[in-house]
Amino acid sequence: MDLSSALSRARRGFRDDLRLHVVAVISLVVAFLCLGAALLSVENLSRVAERWSGAQHLTVYLKDNAAPGDVAQLRLVLESLQETASVRLISAEEARREFAAQVDLGTQASALPADAFPASLEVALKDRTSDQRVAEVAERVQRFGAVDEVETYRDWLTQMGTLLRAGKSAVGLLAVLVMICVLAIIGNTIRVAVTSRRREIEVLKLCGATDGFVRSPFLLEGVMQASAAAMTALVLLLIAYLAMRGQVEATLGAVTGIRTVFLDPITMAAMVVGGGMMGALGSALSLRRYLKV
Amino acid sequence: MIRGPQQPSDDPPPSRRSRSLFGSRTEGTPKPLLVLEDVYKYFRRDIPTLRAVNLTVERGEFVFVTGPSGAGKSTLLQLIYRQHGIDGGRILFSGRDISRLTDRSIPFLRRNLGIVFQDFKVVPHWTVFENVAVSLEITGAPQRLIRARVAEALERVGLAGRGNERVEHLSGGEQQRVGIGRAIVTEPALLLADEPTGNLDPALSIDILTLFEEINEAGTTVLFATHDHSLLSASPHRLIVIDDGRLIEATHGLRAWSARTQMSA
Repeated sequence: MDLSSALSRARRGFRDDLRLHVVAVISLVVAFLCLGAALLSVENLSRVAERWSGAQHLTVYLKDNAAPGDVAQLRLVLESLQETASVRLISAEEARREFAAQVDLGTQASALPADAFPASLEVALKDRTSDQRVAEVAERVQRFGAVDEVETYRDWLTQMGTLLRAGKSAVGLLAVLVMICVLAIIGNTIRVAVTSRRREIEVLKLCGATDGFVRSPFLLEGVMQASAAAMTALVLLLIAYLAMRGQVEATLGAVTGIRTVFLDPITMAAMVVGGGMMGALGSALSLRRYLKV
Repeated sequence: MIRGPQQPSDDPPPSRRSRSLFGSRTEGTPKPLLVLEDVYKYFRRDIPTLRAVNLTVERGEFVFVTGPSGAGKSTLLQLIYRQHGIDGGRILFSGRDISRLTDRSIPFLRRNLGIVFQDFKVVPHWTVFENVAVSLEITGAPQRLIRARVAEALERVGLAGRGNERVEHLSGGEQQRVGIGRAIVTEPALLLADEPTGNLDPALSIDILTLFEEINEAGTTVLFATHDHSLLSASPHRLIVIDDGRLIEATHGLRAWSARTQMSA
């Protein structure tokens, strides 16, 4: 295939059917934006799940009437455990203050009663503490008289895992849908372009052009449309991400304790290259029947 | 200046450089350029469109192919440029049996032919230059050679200096000249013209015929299909008549053939 000739004819094709190609690229940008946004969500959810499942954590909620001596003794017991990394006492007032700051209640914060949240001991466990050991520690701590409830976050992490799996499945499905979308949009665009350029194809074939020569500019058009759409979608997604990052990290980031990230370079490259390949495939499929002259 | 295909050129023709299945036009000079032997073509199982067609065309000949509409003139040409395959017999072009060509080889046959059509088959939104250059572009010829050859072809067809005009802005006669330019720019061994004046008025038709004769005088073999008797009368070339799928050599000229057909009617 003579690449420079194919490029020049593809450029001529874009010039002749500019509006058609612009509409196709816009449609593809929307499809790639959906895929990119879903991938971005899953990427960050994965980070949350990874952080929370990797760093084991217990919250020991204290009874309202727990005696300070009992609390101090409980703290000593917890600190003496081999698995404990740190123990922090959060009073009811501190819990109320942190909540008000994180949720930004403004003037409504004063309406919250002083004992809206129970006092607690936040226990950070060392990495690689097994789930079974966490459950044993929770069961032991639960027996103390000052303890109202022990939260191991197992349920939360299980739910997060389920959500993540569902998210990944949804992204997989979305990726398939986007591929079908790319095939359909590119296929239809090239079909319309081929129809409007039938005379050109006929002339080429009658002058002795091979199928490869006729096909090459259309394949390039498909590749360029899909790749350009994927790149445009990534740029738009990056702009949206940068615009929203501050707000997301101030709210969800503070709760989950992670910093958000954008898509990694391999994922972005896969979107552009994969999109281009799907574009070529869509073109090739739609061209087959028009080459018989 | 009209330069014929036999005249030496600084650059080898691109069709020969890229891949030639049919050899040089100057090789094996004793062989006829085109031979059809007992050729049959059926579009309907019971009625042959062409039957037992035998024809030999020597190099440098100008041959009119005529006959009533639907007689099979276009089909005959289409068999030569392999738009259709034959159902019997064989067709030799430069000594090679083109009916045995694989689909992948057909483009290389067509690069050795020039084809001109009744409906011009030019691309309206392309420029004159682009329409003529396409025959060379498909062979992978370098741009420098394409520019030189297209300029020469445009001069031969009377469109010198008009390469940048879009074809859709040209008259019918000019569009056909673009089609002829595209057909001769590769300096083919054989020029097939399928009713090239069918969409033109009589005065323009004579101009186009004259152009074909000039191309023929420069050495290119021409097979010119037409049912326009004014053209057949205007030039004393060899005349082949196709009627009811059969080919008749009208050795006694157009008048004798016309008289015979009127008598039989």
